[in-house]
Amino acid sequence: MVTPAHFIALAVILFVIGAVGVLVRRNAIVVFMCVELMLNAANLAFVTFARMHGNLDGQIIAFFVMVVAAAEVVVGLAILTSIFRARRSASVDDANLMKY
Amino acid sequence: MTGLAVGTLRAASTPPATLPATGVEHVAWLLLVFPLAGAAILLLGGKRTNAWGHLVGVAMPVAAFCVGVAMFVQMLGQPASDRVRSMTIYQWVIVSRFRVPMGIRIDPLSICFVLLITGVGSLIHIFAVGYMSHDPERRRFFGYMNLFVAAMLLLVIANNYLGLYAGWEGVGLASYLLIGFWQYKPAAAVAAKKAFIANRVGDVGLSLAIMLMFTTFGSVTFSGVFHEAPKASHEVITAIGLLLLLGACGKSAQVPLQSWLLDAMEGPTPVSALIHAATMVTAGVYLIVRSGPIFNLSPGARLAVAIVGAVTLLFGAIIGCAKDDIKKALAGSTMSQIGYMMLAAGLGPAGYVFAIAHLLAHGFFKAGMFLGAGSVKHEMNDEVDMRRFGGLDKIMPVTFVTFLLGYLAIIGVPPLSGFFTKDPIIDAAFAKGGTSGALLGTAALLGAGITAFYMTRVMFMTFAGERRWEADQHPHEVPPVMTSPMVVLAIGSVAAGGFLILGNRLLNFLGPITGVPPTSHGIWTKAGLAALVLVAVGMVIAWALYGRRPVPATAPAGNPVTVAARKDLYGDAVNESLLMRPGQWLTRLSVFFDNKGIDALVNTVAATFGGTSGRMRRVENGFVRSYALSMLVGAVLLVGALLLVKL
Amino acid sequence: MTGSVAAITHTIAAPSIEWSLLSPLVLVFAAATVGVLVEAFAPRDLRRALHIAISLGGLAGAFVLTIVVAHSHIFAGGKPGVVAAVGAVAVDKPTLFIQGTILVLAFVSVLLIAESSHDAFAAQAAAVPGSAAEREGLLAGLTHTEVYPLTLFSVGGMLLFPAANDLLTMFIALEVLSLPLYLLCGLARRRRLLSQEAAMKYFLLGAFSSAFFLFGVAMLYGYSGSVQLAAIATAAQSGVGSATLLYAGIALLGIGLLFKIGAIPFANWKPDVYQGSPTPVTALMASCTLVSAFGALLRVFYVAFGQLTWDWRPVMWGVAILTMLVGSIVAITQTDVKRLLAYSSIAQAGYVLTGVIAANTAGLSGSMFYLAAYGIATIGAFAIVTLVRDQTGEAAHLSSWAGLGKRSPLVAGLFALFLITFAGIPLTSGFTSKFAVFRAAIQGGALPLVIIGVISSAILAFPYVRVIVLMFFSDPAPDGPVVVRPSGFTSAAVAVGAAATLVLGIIPQPLLNIANHAASHLFVR
Repeated sequence: MVTPAHFIALAVILFVIGAVGVLVRRNAIVVFMCVELMLNAANLAFVTFARMHGNLDGQIIAFFVMVVAAAEVVVGLAILTSIFRARRSASVDDANLMKY
Repeated sequence: MTGLAVGTLRAASTPPATLPATGVEHVAWLLLVFPLAGAAILLLGGKRTNAWGHLVGVAMPVAAFCVGVAMFVQMLGQPASDRVRSMTIYQWVIVSRFRVPMGIRIDPLSICFVLLITGVGSLIHIFAVGYMSHDPERRRFFGYMNLFVAAMLLLVIANNYLGLYAGWEGVGLASYLLIGFWQYKPAAAVAAKKAFIANRVGDVGLSLAIMLMFTTFGSVTFSGVFHEAPKASHEVITAIGLLLLLGACGKSAQVPLQSWLLDAMEGPTPVSALIHAATMVTAGVYLIVRSGPIFNLSPGARLAVAIVGAVTLLFGAIIGCAKDDIKKALAGSTMSQIGYMMLAAGLGPAGYVFAIAHLLAHGFFKAGMFLGAGSVKHEMNDEVDMRRFGGLDKIMPVTFVTFLLGYLAIIGVPPLSGFFTKDPIIDAAFAKGGTSGALLGTAALLGAGITAFYMTRVMFMTFAGERRWEADQHPHEVPPVMTSPMVVLAIGSVAAGGFLILGNRLLNFLGPITGVPPTSHGIWTKAGLAALVLVAVGMVIAWALYGRRPVPATAPAGNPVTVAARKDLYGDAVNESLLMRPGQWLTRLSVFFDNKGIDALVNTVAATFGGTSGRMRRVENGFVRSYALSMLVGAVLLVGALLLVKL
Repeated sequence: MTGSVAAITHTIAAPSIEWSLLSPLVLVFAAATVGVLVEAFAPRDLRRALHIAISLGGLAGAFVLTIVVAHSHIFAGGKPGVVAAVGAVAVDKPTLFIQGTILVLAFVSVLLIAESSHDAFAAQAAAVPGSAAEREGLLAGLTHTEVYPLTLFSVGGMLLFPAANDLLTMFIALEVLSLPLYLLCGLARRRRLLSQEAAMKYFLLGAFSSAFFLFGVAMLYGYSGSVQLAAIATAAQSGVGSATLLYAGIALLGIGLLFKIGAIPFANWKPDVYQGSPTPVTALMASCTLVSAFGALLRVFYVAFGQLTWDWRPVMWGVAILTMLVGSIVAITQTDVKRLLAYSSIAQAGYVLTGVIAANTAGLSGSMFYLAAYGIATIGAFAIVTLVRDQTGEAAHLSSWAGLGKRSPLVAGLFALFLITFAGIPLTSGFTSKFAVFRAAIQGGALPLVIIGVISSAILAFPYVRVIVLMFFSDPAPDGPVVVRPSGFTSAAVAVGAAATLVLGIIPQPLLNIANHAASHLFVR
């Protein structure tokens, strides 16, 4: 029997995987994909809760989030591409001129 | 004297009610705006305004004078009971219970000062155009002078003690800046600092008085304080009165805070004329007279004021006798004359009006004489030693005549100003009665004789006798821009006293504010006649010493009194041994404690924080993943903490 | 979804949108859109002038509209506020105050962005730093005029962020304000590698924090079945539902907001991003973004979690203490002027947090006053940073500021004024605002917090005074930086900042009265 609680647990797991991925991956694109994974975990939670509460808000929010995520991709890729062109490296660890 | 006007006034025992401003009084704030704008233009405008700055500097006090005259004319058209006008410009301080409006009070007392400050001030500004014409910093000078006029006007038209205090500090600042105007001269710089510090002592008194008023009466407006004052305890009123007196002593160079005024003569002479003779130094008298309703409730405080005045009038006169520097002789005279005013103010309603009358007349003749001294100094290549003068009466005739008229006025020769304004003070002092009245009256009488002596000495040494100046000095009469103000002031020296006193003009004008003397004695009084005799004696002695025989170019050794007077009657020595030396010991002690105790503690704390900072900034290591980690750790802590709090 | 056939035949009622209430927002977004069209169609040599006119006009117009809305809709009816756009946007007194503040600060920031005598923005952001393409772009006199519409879009998001009455609108506003900022950060003309690095860090961490925010929204939605702030408050009051969801939601949502205001431990981005970004953009972030984020934080914690004050307060205490202490302590050893200002900004955020924690009207009004006063002063400080330049651009390292007071007493004096207000010395706005929030915090029972705040202020005064000493009591280096002569735009920004700092320090009462009035009924629900 799959209950909404299972879906929420899955959402939490996806969220944590995304968060840990941000920490452990060096490639900027992959880091960003991990953030996207976190957003989608939230989407899953929204849809599940919409089902639990029996209203449509959560599903509509999920659509909004997708649009926002798409916009974020546009901006993010622009930034990451320009930094890749300048440095010939997509590693987030290479960009640490500013510190302390 | 006709007793009619006096009688009707005395019936009106309650002070006139404060009414809202009307007519031209609505723009009373222009009094402040004009000179402030002048100061702002000249000081902020910089070198760009060099070419025409002095014209702005002159125009602003003149404009303020016009406003003052307009208000005065309007006031004369109002009945005596409607002449106290007040307007609030904005709420200045709003802190809980402490509310002070920034407001203006126009009444006969303040209008007297407004006219004196802007009128005499304008004349002195005009004089300064010529006097300072060779100074590269003339623009800055006029900027400071305008600043002074603005602050002085604020002092006299504020309708509350806090506003008065702001003006009080403002004139102190302007005085400091102007005494030290030639700050490259060490003497000027030191004198400026000395004036500033001596005034601080007095200011502490004034500020404590204001604080005490607030805690006692819950208000610092004049109307509020005077209304509540009769309900307060006698001790508190006396304390307020003595603290106000301390403030007045600082600003007006009264014993024991007198020592700065003589040194203040290091400033340019127009400054000495305007600030250190005609206006600022009389602010103490204004403070006492304005606070009349408080002093009226405390005979003890009044007596203290009178004693300070009597001591100072002798003190200043004695110093004036021994000084060879013409400006310092006049400065000693200023101290002495303000002593007369304080003495009169200390007599309560019996003397307030005469204090103001003498103050106004003094504003004319002393400013005139200072300008005369200034033009002599200007022509003698900045020489101020009277032993190097002599025989200037033919060379500088206008200066000589105007100075002569001022001289006759100050020593009280009838019918010039001083005769009308000084004799009532002497008479009123005797009329106080009792031992104190006799002592105060005698001091005032003696002072009149000494005044005649030292002023005659100044006249002879400067204008009479053979020429004792150097070969490279070529004095001429000064240009009209400088003589014309002196002429106007000389007219005032001649006529002001009679105009104010005869027909009880000033008495009728100020009476509703200050109260009127219980008795009047007429123009010719016994005390006045005695004073005239003493004046004649003083003149003869001075003639015998300085007119009959040549003045030696170097000062003779002199008797012990002369030696003491040359050293300002040891005012500086007293300050040094009583205040400076113990202060230095205290300083050394605290420096020791500071180094060994506090610094060690502070350094340890600073080093700890510095080290912590150096270690903590390493966390900011530039790696974005590390930042994400710290955020995630923070997130876990935050979620954990919130859940822990609740679950 | 039931999908009944009958529903299809019914006409769909259009939602009622109170356009007049939303007019300031609409005007800013419209101006931004017009800016995009200008970018597309206007000839190149006209663009800059058009953009400046549109941006400044749009922001000024929006400010006027804000006042009109306040007077005609709020004060006229005597209402504390109204909810508009089908519950999505709240228009109430605090929001209008915050929006007005943002508009003023944005206007002044745009003045900095518009400075032309030393352009802050890249000729061609796409060109690789140091490449031939970059040189060509510089020689051709190109510059990215897209910064104006980007700024306007971001300001639009900032206006919506504190007004959002449901969490979805708030999330959208968060992204609308953030995305243009990420781009703006990467557009510096000089030191482009730093600028790109700043953009990347800000973007990745910002997206990371947005994910937390969104997951928090999901949790709260799961808890209450709605994303309306009022519905969440009602649900929290009734106490039904899973407390885990509620508190996890509060924490995760809080992370997103605390990231934007730069509270420790979510503030690592601030020094790097402030340092790398073009300085006018830094000024925009340090002022407008901070105000907007605090507006949203205040609304969420006062409206949605207003009943749970006792639950979130201990955690916020910890955050505020950490923020105040870490910000001020690390500032001591900073050597880059923009990083110093960044750490200062972190500490200042901590002081405002004490006002938030007070959770009363005084806290709200104090926080709002603080933000307005600090925002305008910080723009002035960054404006001065743009003026002190050497051959590589801005002279960022503090050692090169030595003796500036002897070379340019006016500029050094004004910078000292801003530092003094940051240190909270009386007669400057900094003192008044610190006094306001600390007093509110004491009233709200947070005395220990205030004591730590005062200690932190004392620590923070040290680096400020060190800079002042450096400027006025050290000898200038022979090859030190020069102070460039700014055009009227930057001068105006500095003048406004300095004037506001002094006026709010000497006669703060008018603005305090407005803030008190605005805060008198808290937020509308």
